Amino acid sequence: MRHIPEDELHAYLDQGLSRSQCVEIESHLAGCPACQGARDGIAALRDRTTALLSRLAPTRGVPPGFDTLRRRAAEVAFQRRRRLQSVAWAASLVAAVALGWTGSSLTGDRAPVQAAQRQELPAPVPIAEPASRQAVAAAPPASASRAAMPAARQAPARRAPRHSPDSSATAADRAAVLAVLDPVPALELSPIDKPRADDSPELEGMWRTMSWDGAQAEAGTSVPHIGGLPIVRVQVQVSENVGQRPLMVVAQQLSSGQVIRTIEGPAPDVSQLLARRAMSDPDSAGSTADSTGPRGDGGAHSMAMQMGDRMLAITGALPTDSLLAMIRRMNAEMRSRR
Amino acid sequence: MTDELEQLYQSTYTAVVRFLYRKVWDAERAEDLAQEVFVRALAHRPDKPRAWVFAVAANLARDEARSAMRRKRHLTLLKGDPISQPTVAPSADDTVEHDEQVASVQEALNTLTPRDREILLLWDAGLSYPEIAAQTGLAVGAVGTTLARARRRLVDAHDRQHAQTRNHAAHS
Repeated sequence: MRHIPEDELHAYLDQGLSRSQCVEIESHLAGCPACQGARDGIAALRDRTTALLSRLAPTRGVPPGFDTLRRRAAEVAFQRRRRLQSVAWAASLVAAVALGWTGSSLTGDRAPVQAAQRQELPAPVPIAEPASRQAVAAAPPASASRAAMPAARQAPARRAPRHSPDSSATAADRAAVLAVLDPVPALELSPIDKPRADDSPELEGMWRTMSWDGAQAEAGTSVPHIGGLPIVRVQVQVSENVGQRPLMVVAQQLSSGQVIRTIEGPAPDVSQLLARRAMSDPDSAGSTADSTGPRGDGGAHSMAMQMGDRMLAITGALPTDSLLAMIRRMNAEMRSRR
Repeated sequence: MTDELEQLYQSTYTAVVRFLYRKVWDAERAEDLAQEVFVRALAHRPDKPRAWVFAVAANLARDEARSAMRRKRHLTLLKGDPISQPTVAPSADDTVEHDEQVASVQEALNTLTPRDREILLLWDAGLSYPEIAAQTGLAVGAVGTTLARARRRLVDAHDRQHAQTRNHAAHS
């Protein structure tokens, strides 16, 4: 009968063996004085080791209360969140600057300065160079109800790409998408032109940028948007007819970084906006010729749907069938909410 | 609700401090690191907290040893001093004997291979064979073999030292 190897006796005494192994060893030990002696020797060795190591113990040691550690952990988590938030905020600011100009070129963004002051929008962004080229091309088709916007008040043209192209969708953009979760307050970055000497007080139908909450308060459930996509910007053009729901443009960002806009408002206003957008498009295509974007088929498409005297529209650099699918879904959602 | 981690903290904090102390040889630092381990555990909420705590403690001690080595190298470059072994400095007369005892065990422990030392310290910290195996990558069956060797070496090294000091004392 074989004797128990030394390492098995260590494992046995350390309770590192299975139940069946223990039974086997114990039955052998019962009838083997040699192994009993070996076991006692190893037990003594274990005790000596433990005694020697116990000398290597720090003398001090009143442990702090666990709540102290909890507070520290909470503090660490808070610091980490703050760091992440500030990074995300910076990223969203970068994205918002790029997207903000994009939005302004679609909607015209012609908020008169007095309106800006009244509504406490961010301070006007001083623009050094007049964006004459785009402004001329995008001069709005003046309607009877809406005063013509002077070309010089046109939102500044920027060399930022109109639609964040796939190829340049940077980590910052993606971070911004994560940061701008639905529904969040729209980023309050509205480029506003410098005041002009002859501010025409009869200007009406001004645009203003508002928060998501504000837009919902104003238009109830009919703020046009695609559920699940982060909201980049909400712009509202107050209707001159009291009681009528305003014209709203909601910019949302796809995961690819592209921005699509959903527009809802009185039918004439929406069609006018789309027409203006179509007019200004060729010019802006020229101004972003140096950008490397998948503009391919001429950039943005629009899709509109009339619902009584209101119109729902969607624009974006997407295939028309995608836009069609989106507008159908949105229409169904808005109907079901009503 | 009593937190599982809080219970673990009450039952193993001292063992974690001891485990760390035997690696960094600085009581205060060992306590700081042990608290850091539990703060991290609170943030992580690991599935197997006991094994996790010792794995993180081992990592922190390793990082600590590396940066201590870097600091020491830097100091050596500055001073041109030879690198000295970290030992517990004797402070007062009544603690001299205790300090000598500590130093002798410390030296004995240093004669072990890093792996044997690690496994012995994990065992002494209260980890089970499967926990030790999981942390060190050893087979469970090999833990007993390693511990048998480590214990034997530690005791032998210590006895050898003791015999030497006694010889020195007898000759002088």
